[in-house]
Amino acid sequence: MQFDDKVPIYYQIKNYLYHEMLTGQLTPGAKLPAIRQLAVDLTVNVNTVQRALGEMITAGIVTSKRGKGNFVTTDTARLAQLKEQLTMEQLERAYEQLHALNLTDDEIIAGLKQYIAQRGQQHD
Amino acid sequence: MTNVLAIQHVGYKHNFKTILHDVDLTLATGKIVGLLGENGAGKTTLMRLLTGSAKGSGTITVCGDTQPAHHRSHVSFTEQLRGFSGNTRVEQVASFYRTVYPDFDGARFEELVTFLQIDTSLKLAALSKGMKEKVIIALTLARQVNLYLLDEPFSGIDSMSRKRIISSIIKWKPDDATMVISDHYVSEIAPILDEIVVVKDQTVAVHKASDAVREEFGLGIADYYESLYEGSAQRD
Repeated sequence: MQFDDKVPIYYQIKNYLYHEMLTGQLTPGAKLPAIRQLAVDLTVNVNTVQRALGEMITAGIVTSKRGKGNFVTTDTARLAQLKEQLTMEQLERAYEQLHALNLTDDEIIAGLKQYIAQRGQQHD
Repeated sequence: MTNVLAIQHVGYKHNFKTILHDVDLTLATGKIVGLLGENGAGKTTLMRLLTGSAKGSGTITVCGDTQPAHHRSHVSFTEQLRGFSGNTRVEQVASFYRTVYPDFDGARFEELVTFLQIDTSLKLAALSKGMKEKVIIALTLARQVNLYLLDEPFSGIDSMSRKRIISSIIKWKPDDATMVISDHYVSEIAPILDEIVVVKDQTVAVHKASDAVREEFGLGIADYYESLYEGSAQRD
């Protein structure tokens, strides 16, 4: 995995693991690799992995079982909520950037529809 | 959280030239710290002061111990394999370490040798630059101490060796030990650093958490580090 040096590493690790969960690479209830193994695999600091996992545990996405390791939550409602939350974050970012270009809401929606339509044609 | 190292008002002069002046620095246990600065900024001098092999002014406390003569037992630093002739084989250096340092863990050394693909029958003079650095890493990490110092372990090293060295650091650094890695080219080690310390103008100019730099300035560690020098260039 390639990191963007401008963004806090713990945040990128969190997003990477969220991505793995939401795309089914890590299924609900799956055991996460040991912290040091994750650190070696991602070539990052053990403390940074610890911080990322700590935040995921606080958020209720990961559960920690003493002596057994860390697991993806089996609470699928919570995972659905996470997906919604990440979607909203992406939309917010895109919306704010388009809004900053002085586009109206209607223009943004029209632009997005046009983009999706064009994208569909390219893929055909 | 306890501290592994506390430096107060430390200075060092060589031939009447000030190398370091009024250095204050405290490092917590369990961190990987990047010691950054230009060539000649005093990074190696600072490391030598920490091991007690150079003597300056001020107070250096390692693991609660202020006696410079005791620091060698708390700090693992293999300075460029100085003092060994080119005819010495790697395995002979290792057995010397085993004799001199009671904390040298032979089993750990063997693991590191296997991981870093070191041929211990080679003579020091026959080692390539990358292989020499790997030997230094293996010797340094085989000791069980609270503070590890690595002086520019990546200078002039190919990317495959660099990756192996970085992985060995992540694998073998004990959780409660702190490691200081000096470098003048930052980007390759930035992802593994908890904190950065910048030596500039004969003192510690900056000591910050890496993720705090990214959060506060929206800058990568390398860009932030360069920005410190651009500022001073304008003042000159």
